[in-house]
Amino acid sequence: MDRSKSLGVALVSVLLGGGALALGGFVLASNTPHQKALQCIESSTHSHTCSVTLSTFPDSLEGVHGANGGPHPDWVTYSNDNVVVPANTTVNMTIDQYDTGGNVNNPFFDSVVGTNGGTAAVNGKVVTHVALGDTGHTFTLRGIPGNGKTLFVSVPLPYNFGTKFPVRLGTGTYPKPVVVKFSFTTGGPAVYEFNCEFPCGGSREGNGFGEAMQAFGYMSGTITVK
Amino acid sequence: METSAKKSLRSFYWTWVILTAVGVGLSLWLPRRYMPAAMSNDAHLTMTTMILFSICAAPVASGVYAGALHVLRHHRYRGDGVPPPAPQIRESTKLLTSWITASAILTVFVLVWGLGALAAENGSSSSNPLVVNVTGQQWVWTFSYPGTHVVSDELYLPENREVEFRVTSLDVTHGFWLVNMGVQVDANPDVITTIHTTPDKLGVFEVRCEQFCGLNHAFMDAVGYVVTPQKFSSWLSAQPARA
Repeated sequence: MDRSKSLGVALVSVLLGGGALALGGFVLASNTPHQKALQCIESSTHSHTCSVTLSTFPDSLEGVHGANGGPHPDWVTYSNDNVVVPANTTVNMTIDQYDTGGNVNNPFFDSVVGTNGGTAAVNGKVVTHVALGDTGHTFTLRGIPGNGKTLFVSVPLPYNFGTKFPVRLGTGTYPKPVVVKFSFTTGGPAVYEFNCEFPCGGSREGNGFGEAMQAFGYMSGTITVK
Repeated sequence: METSAKKSLRSFYWTWVILTAVGVGLSLWLPRRYMPAAMSNDAHLTMTTMILFSICAAPVASGVYAGALHVLRHHRYRGDGVPPPAPQIRESTKLLTSWITASAILTVFVLVWGLGALAAENGSSSSNPLVVNVTGQQWVWTFSYPGTHVVSDELYLPENREVEFRVTSLDVTHGFWLVNMGVQVDANPDVITTIHTTPDKLGVFEVRCEQFCGLNHAFMDAVGYVVTPQKFSSWLSAQPARA
């Protein structure tokens, strides 16, 4: 085989190999499940204000992970991993907490940080922190999306001590939720990440940061500021 | 009249000199252009070391490139088929002695400078450093200041005072990296690692995790501020008490 023919064969092989890899990547990316974006609903009475509601569940039976909880029905989860909020807007967030709890491994996360006013309302009562050992999950939002702007919000979601399970959602039954309300103000367009800082994800060398804490769509998600 | 061998050798030396000059120029320009702005004594020392080592490496690298160019230009076989055996290279004691001596001087200099810089970065120069406890966990840094009630997700440091970071992790291994401070150390569970620096420039800097630590590693960063001692005291006083 002469030199130019060899080069041609090598070039075609590289192109075919690259094309096959690109096609494989595209198919895998297309098949990755993405939850539908939860839009923050803009207020009709207050400008630059919107509201959004999330929930935290002790299992995945509520429905967003598929019939009967999907592949991991026993994993704790947020109700949505994909939230979209407008830029330069006050976001009034409500989180319905259906799960139990315990001790966070860093007392910093017992406190409310970064909300407007530095407070949150738990079942209507204004608080700055949750009592030691009474944290169920946390909503911790942060990131520096490459533009130097920062956003850090961390709110403890208290232990739900409910012993009756009157609430039926999806195929799960839950106690009445602990309702946590707070607000924060967004800056310019960016993507931030939120996750739970309570060790609720099952074992990862026994520290509770495995399973649901290490998988997108369960105890973590993104907030896209548009 | 100059022989062809001498001519080609002269062109090699000129190529070497020119490439060395370019290398030294790049050594002076690239680190300042692309390394993070230095905001501490350690970052300045790192920058100086980087520039100095690059300058030392410039003549060595340039000699290799000049040699390669010289060989390609003057000794390339232009005939057909297999080239005949090359003539035997005769050793030059002068060249070998110069090359080995220059290499030895450069290597010893780099070694001595490097050990000195390492000792300077690892050592503490103050008897009263500001202590900051640094805790990494998936995927947030928190900073506490012993003797105060302050725990924060932001790192505030006073200008021109030595800081002692006591770094640990609550879960997996993280990497505590102050991009502009020349500070980079692992945060290991159940271990407290101590590292010092002295911020010497007011401004904002980045805190990052540089050890892949799980799902949201890419988001594990924080903001740091170097402020005047007065502003630092005001900031400490203004922080809310934690439960």
